[in-house]
Amino acid sequence: MRKTMAKVTALAVAAGMLAACGSTGGSTGGGTAETSTGATGSGDATVIEVWSNNRHDEEYMTQMIDAFNASHTDIQIEYTILTDDWANSIQLAFQANTAPDIITIAASDNMTLSDYVSGGMFESLTPYIEADTEFQTVTEVYDHMYEGLNSIGDEIYWVPNGVRSGTRIEYNVELLKNAGYDGVPATLDELVEACKAVTEQGNGSVYGVGFTSSSPLSRWIEGVAEMSGATHMGYDYVNGVFDFSSWKPVIESAAKLYADGSVLPGSETQGVDNSRALFAQGAFAVWGNASQEAGVFTDQFPVSFDWGVAELPTMDGTVKGALSCTPNFGFTMLTSCENKDAAWEVIKYFSSEDFMKGYLEGGYTLPLSTYMSEKIDSSKTGRLADFALTDYEDVYPTPPSVAIEGDDYLVTLWNAVLGNVSADEAIQDLNTRYNEALERGLSNGSCTRVVIADYDPLHPSAGTPTYETE
Amino acid sequence: MSETKAKTAVKAPKRGMDANTSAKIATVLMMFPAVLLLCVVSIYPFLWLFRYVFYDYNGMTSYFTGLHNFTRMFGDTAFWASVGHTFEYAILKIIFIIPLALIMAELMSQKIRGSGVFRVIYFMPTIISTAISAMVFGFIFAAYNGVLNAVLRATGIISQNINWLGDSNTAMWAVLIVAVWGGFGNYMIYFMSGLSSIPHDVYESAMIDGAGGLTTFFRITLPMLSPMFKVIMMLAITAAFKDYESIMVLTQGGPDNRTQVMFLYIYQLLFGTSTTKPQIGYACVLSLVAAIIVGIVTGLYMLLARKLDDVM
Repeated sequence: MRKTMAKVTALAVAAGMLAACGSTGGSTGGGTAETSTGATGSGDATVIEVWSNNRHDEEYMTQMIDAFNASHTDIQIEYTILTDDWANSIQLAFQANTAPDIITIAASDNMTLSDYVSGGMFESLTPYIEADTEFQTVTEVYDHMYEGLNSIGDEIYWVPNGVRSGTRIEYNVELLKNAGYDGVPATLDELVEACKAVTEQGNGSVYGVGFTSSSPLSRWIEGVAEMSGATHMGYDYVNGVFDFSSWKPVIESAAKLYADGSVLPGSETQGVDNSRALFAQGAFAVWGNASQEAGVFTDQFPVSFDWGVAELPTMDGTVKGALSCTPNFGFTMLTSCENKDAAWEVIKYFSSEDFMKGYLEGGYTLPLSTYMSEKIDSSKTGRLADFALTDYEDVYPTPPSVAIEGDDYLVTLWNAVLGNVSADEAIQDLNTRYNEALERGLSNGSCTRVVIADYDPLHPSAGTPTYETE
Repeated sequence: MSETKAKTAVKAPKRGMDANTSAKIATVLMMFPAVLLLCVVSIYPFLWLFRYVFYDYNGMTSYFTGLHNFTRMFGDTAFWASVGHTFEYAILKIIFIIPLALIMAELMSQKIRGSGVFRVIYFMPTIISTAISAMVFGFIFAAYNGVLNAVLRATGIISQNINWLGDSNTAMWAVLIVAVWGGFGNYMIYFMSGLSSIPHDVYESAMIDGAGGLTTFFRITLPMLSPMFKVIMMLAITAAFKDYESIMVLTQGGPDNRTQVMFLYIYQLLFGTSTTKPQIGYACVLSLVAAIIVGIVTGLYMLLARKLDDVM
């Protein structure tokens, strides 16, 4: 009897285990996935799975996808939001054959296009785009081909429908005014002085500037470097090598913020939302970030005082290089998609005039195409209008994707801002490590050298890139 | 009748074989789930590491690099610095957490009113998510409006706020405080379990012989706790060397890599950063080296513990 029970128990446990291992249903990839909208059409309809890492636009997306599903009997969209570890989730899903048909993509996702194309993951959209004049008109796709970001040569892999502005300074008008400044000065040294003046006025309770632990250098100092003519991500496009030496004056000037005691103590150890909340409380006068702050300081951490948005200062008050902006709200089709024509119809819907008009007027992103800029009522976008693109904002070609040893340039240069190393030491270290990684990548074939002979730092996307394997 | 007997006689050994085979099948089936899990979540991932040690692998495409990942490892000063920080962190953590857990276990084992409530309170950090507790400590350690600075200033211990997480001199102590707070309750329970297994009559005999509290603790409790103590120490050593989650939330290895421990360094290589791609092949090599380091430390401890047993 005992043996019989043992056999029954063993069989039941084994069957349970196998059942658990075998159940791979569902469209989510785990983690914090959430299916916000599911297909509800008939069994004959083609279901197109779309994964997004955007939660801020969930309400609008759900509403519009419901409308699409209700008006289509042949195609149904199943929409899933996954916010954590986006790039790795997509890669793992692709390798496990559970990837969706379409994913959202933005320049800020850190998904190096060449890696995904050589890895056979992204489908070229060029044949579909060439055959669709309406899509071309609304998106102005051929004006927004960014080498290495959304296209390689003539092949287009995703089309941005919007853009996040380059970084700006958001500031507390009253605090700067009390310190004797009517706004944000035009040079970095003057801004450093302004922050010092605010701190002195603050008597230990209010400070000039605040940072965050989350990529502090790229919040606004990197933008100052770009506009002052420093190399984008340290890459010299003309010579095809990494050279960070042009960053020196910016780093040395920014380091004065810490040397003067103008930075909110410990803000560089706080998460980005903590620092935003402290700015909204009036703990410091100057904060830097891109157009997403329009929504943050309106809805997430409503600011009760008068706050302004200013363009970044430069080293000498003149703009010598383009400020990086971030194309976003694009969609790419994965090669594993079995119904590519239906998937294209869904991508087309997300990029259509009707869809984008509501999306842009909802303030979810800034318009990228002139066509859509002219179609929307910008008065409906709230403070997002303060972040409208300037004529010196552009998208840089993607520098070679190198496997560096040690800390990346953002961490290394931030250490110089903190005073842990000198700017010279940091720059020499970066030049050595990045160029060694470039040479190593060229020798093992994992990257190519991008060279743009006609490179214009004010219009970096206008150059003609060539790729070298040596 | 005789035919029936003959058939029975022939069948008897068969029934014996069937029972034996059935028992074996049952054993295999009983073991199957555990073995399957072991293979899938432990052995396969470990073998997977070996697959990429000779490659530069970004998660999609692998590029053969020969022995470069190994030669790089020997000259990777950031990695070896992180190994040094790991030893510093682990040794300090064990120095504080084990005596604290033992003392608290001894106190909690006394029949004191309300000790049950304290047991629950001390054990609670063990069941709270490391990420959540680290975030809460982030607020506590905040240099501006932080709770710890406010308390220290109110009591006159400090006159100026301390940048606990942003200062190289204090960051390691800050992450250690979180580690000790989060772990001592667990070891306290282990020690209490060990204490409860010591026969009460031994204590009574010691008391009759006139032994005081301290004498009883060092002459009775500690020696009789020795087998359990060895296991707890081994668990504490491996856990301390593998810690990185709370450090990742609190300091991300900073400031200036002061709290960079080896498994956090490996994690950052494995998943990449906002500007660097994953370096899975190299991370695999470092994972193997880290496993060897932890293995050697644990082995040395076991050897030392055995030698001490022989001496004592």
